[in-house]
Amino acid sequence: MSLTQQLATRLFGGDSIFARRIAGGIIAPANKEPSLRSRIMATPIPELLLIPTGTEDSSTIKLLVAAGEQVHKYQKLAIVEVSVGACTSVSVHAPTSGVITSIGISIVADHSNQNQLCIGLASDGLDTPQQLVPVENYAQLASSEIIPQIREAGIIGMGGAGFPTAEKLNSGSESEMELLIINAAECEPYITADEALIRERADKIVIGAEILKRAAKARRCIIAIEDSKPDAIVALQLALENENNCELLLVPSKYPTGSERQLIQCVTGRELSASQLPTENGIVMQNVGTTFAVYEAFVEGKPCISRITTLCGQALKTPKNFEVLIGTPAEFLYQLCGMQANSNQQSILGGSLMGSELRSNEATICKTSNCLIVPGRNELAGVEAEHACIRCGFCADACPAKLLPQQLLAFSKVSDNTQLIEHGLLDCIECGACDYVCPSHIPLVSIYKKSKEKLQERAQKLEYSQYWQQRFQFRQYRVKKEKEQAQPKKLDTPRQSGQESKQESSPQAAETAIISKEQASRDIAAAVARVKARRDEQKK
Amino acid sequence: MSKLATSAPFQHSGRSIANLMNTLMAALLPGIFASIWFFGFGILINIVIAVSFALLAEIAMLRLRNKNFRLHLADRSALVSALLFAIAIPPGSPWWLAVLGILFAIVIAKHLYGGLGQNPFNPAMCGYAMLLLAFPLEMTGWHIPSAISSGELSVDSLGIPDGVAQQQFISPLSWTGIMQAIQLAFPFLQSASFEATSLADGLAMATPLIEFKMAGNSALLAARESGASLIARESETAWEIINIGYLLGGLYLLYRGIISWHIPLSIIATVLALSSLFYAPGSAAIVGTPFLHLFGSATMIGAFFIATDPVSAATTPTGKLAYGIIIGAAIYSIRVWGSYLDSIAFAVLFGNFCAPVLDHYCRPRIFGHGTLSKTSSKAHTAGDPIEP
Repeated sequence: MSLTQQLATRLFGGDSIFARRIAGGIIAPANKEPSLRSRIMATPIPELLLIPTGTEDSSTIKLLVAAGEQVHKYQKLAIVEVSVGACTSVSVHAPTSGVITSIGISIVADHSNQNQLCIGLASDGLDTPQQLVPVENYAQLASSEIIPQIREAGIIGMGGAGFPTAEKLNSGSESEMELLIINAAECEPYITADEALIRERADKIVIGAEILKRAAKARRCIIAIEDSKPDAIVALQLALENENNCELLLVPSKYPTGSERQLIQCVTGRELSASQLPTENGIVMQNVGTTFAVYEAFVEGKPCISRITTLCGQALKTPKNFEVLIGTPAEFLYQLCGMQANSNQQSILGGSLMGSELRSNEATICKTSNCLIVPGRNELAGVEAEHACIRCGFCADACPAKLLPQQLLAFSKVSDNTQLIEHGLLDCIECGACDYVCPSHIPLVSIYKKSKEKLQERAQKLEYSQYWQQRFQFRQYRVKKEKEQAQPKKLDTPRQSGQESKQESSPQAAETAIISKEQASRDIAAAVARVKARRDEQKK
Repeated sequence: MSKLATSAPFQHSGRSIANLMNTLMAALLPGIFASIWFFGFGILINIVIAVSFALLAEIAMLRLRNKNFRLHLADRSALVSALLFAIAIPPGSPWWLAVLGILFAIVIAKHLYGGLGQNPFNPAMCGYAMLLLAFPLEMTGWHIPSAISSGELSVDSLGIPDGVAQQQFISPLSWTGIMQAIQLAFPFLQSASFEATSLADGLAMATPLIEFKMAGNSALLAARESGASLIARESETAWEIINIGYLLGGLYLLYRGIISWHIPLSIIATVLALSSLFYAPGSAAIVGTPFLHLFGSATMIGAFFIATDPVSAATTPTGKLAYGIIIGAAIYSIRVWGSYLDSIAFAVLFGNFCAPVLDHYCRPRIFGHGTLSKTSSKAHTAGDPIEP
């Protein structure tokens, strides 16, 4: 949109959407070409799949199959309770046919770096599917009919956070949503999964977007994509030609435009703080991969059993995007790319700016593993010597949350928690832009993560200590009251029936203890007020 | 397989402190070359002395503080401080002036406060200020070899030596000029016999600032009105060219993104505004033209190179603007109404005092906070349009 149009829209209102600049941000070398040279490859079926359930706690998993059972492709294997808001559940399905082996703890390729219970599935190579039931009239369904189907299909947010999609749509269904944003802005370097998906299957994504729009009861649907992805943009434009349900918006190619709150600000101009949920402000955002999974669930009746994962990095001979079955081990994928997995090979899950190092090459792909980078020698930044902060301010220029990282660093070093909160440490999205530009090579993101942990610890300790303080005060009060109740009895009967008095006093004392709990807080407050009044008098 | 960084992010922009300092030193070169062209090698001698003693002091202090001196020396911050300090002190000053100043700057103003990144005051300016207070006479003389010719000096009616145009001209870059420069720097060499150089003690060429303070009219304006060539050394345009050199260097730094525009712009704008406000041509109070204040003195190098020293300056954008305004106002006030000739050092130090307060109060609005954001904390109701 031209500048005059933007100005006119701002001044006089109107319905047009245009992309704004995000605050800060960096432009990093994207390294996306190698994995985009070829089409998405459908992976062969590995011998053993370890399907993650998302949790270590077996009490939250309701297994529908047992070890040794023969299962078909698409068969539902388990329902996992996820404690997100109201109790919700995520379904796990079999990616191929075979025999269930065991259910045990295994390493999963996700960012939490914790082991999960995985359902082992030994594939029989036949890939016999269960009978699929596509939903015919998906274009006429109401929101309340769409959301259960999405939950049935086990669809979670495939952009990285893994939030159950049905719950996200549910939280907004009481009030109508204003806007559904399909996040196709893959801003992080190295990841090309969404771009590859769009340029090959744009029409299906548009159908999925429409279904989501009906599910969210949104007034508008906008697909936001970075302007540096020409193939994907053309594919979307073709798919949206005869469509007036969804609109396409090009956003600037800066990192981190694709972060949820940054993209909302880019598309709508509204800034949501860390404590404000988009669904409470009329906006729902879904990833493109999730949208495609919704299409498959309705139009083809397939539950979520695979995802697109980018394999890239100079150590791989043939980097590309794969359509991976959930539960495939990472080393299987490495071999497909022409690399012999050895235990010394370090690899990164996610992009180069927010990824985490994979603990083991046996980790299995889950629904949120979007990229695996296997870097060559000296391809990525190594461990650099750290200098002192020279307060150059490049970090503040790069911060998308408009924080002052140089000040946060100074306060983190002295653990000045009040100033940390005041300077907005809790608004930090840990995008790594400040770290990227720092000339002193200070590991800012890890310092802020530690500071946040310390803040949380301290807040917890404070809560505990307040709770125990209250209980202790009540105990003191109770003991005092008991003594007061006991004393008159002792005076009345000096040496006679010591036992009697004890027996008599204890039920009475217990009675007073039970009754005075409500009274106690009032008494304590009155006592505190008395002490305070006395102190004020003394001061005067 | 080189070891990966311990945690995200795994990519880096490749910037380092050494890179920043290299670019800064490169940006200083045009101004330095102009200085050498007009004023001889005095400045180069100062640079050599300052740099060597700065490196020695840095190594010694890093060793004393048990730090890896190879690593910390490589960040070249001592080099830059030495360069800026050497440019600030007058060329032709004796060698011990430069040594004392740079030792004070590196040892006391930088390392005793905690080293790189911890010094609250600009080290080069601390050294300069200390010298100005301890050795005022040596610091206010601007000894230029070409001003001292082999003949007699012509003086005007006030007893002040005229500008260069009146004298027999000796190129400061000739062999004679070099010898004179060395003799000025190392006064103990004067007893040795060099041909045809007799230095008159205490003679110094008047800087434009000295002129406007003591004389009635700026010689710069006179030279320009007479239409003399800019680069010829006979004309009095030396200062302007030097300042334009530093201005070009500063603009290059802006282009490369090493410094931000806030501090230089606010300093120059403030000096321009104040000098325009108080400039009264023809009246009895002569305070110098705005052009003089911007180009006839050290304002350009102060605005682009000295005040923008990141460690001691304010660090938030609004804070930087306020910092620049404070420094600009201080520059002008001390120059015009104070008793010092040039006030960059004191003005910058004054700004450094104010920087922590500015950082505390001039904070940018955090994303999502504050009344300027168009967010609503209440639940969104259907029918409310999303403002584009």
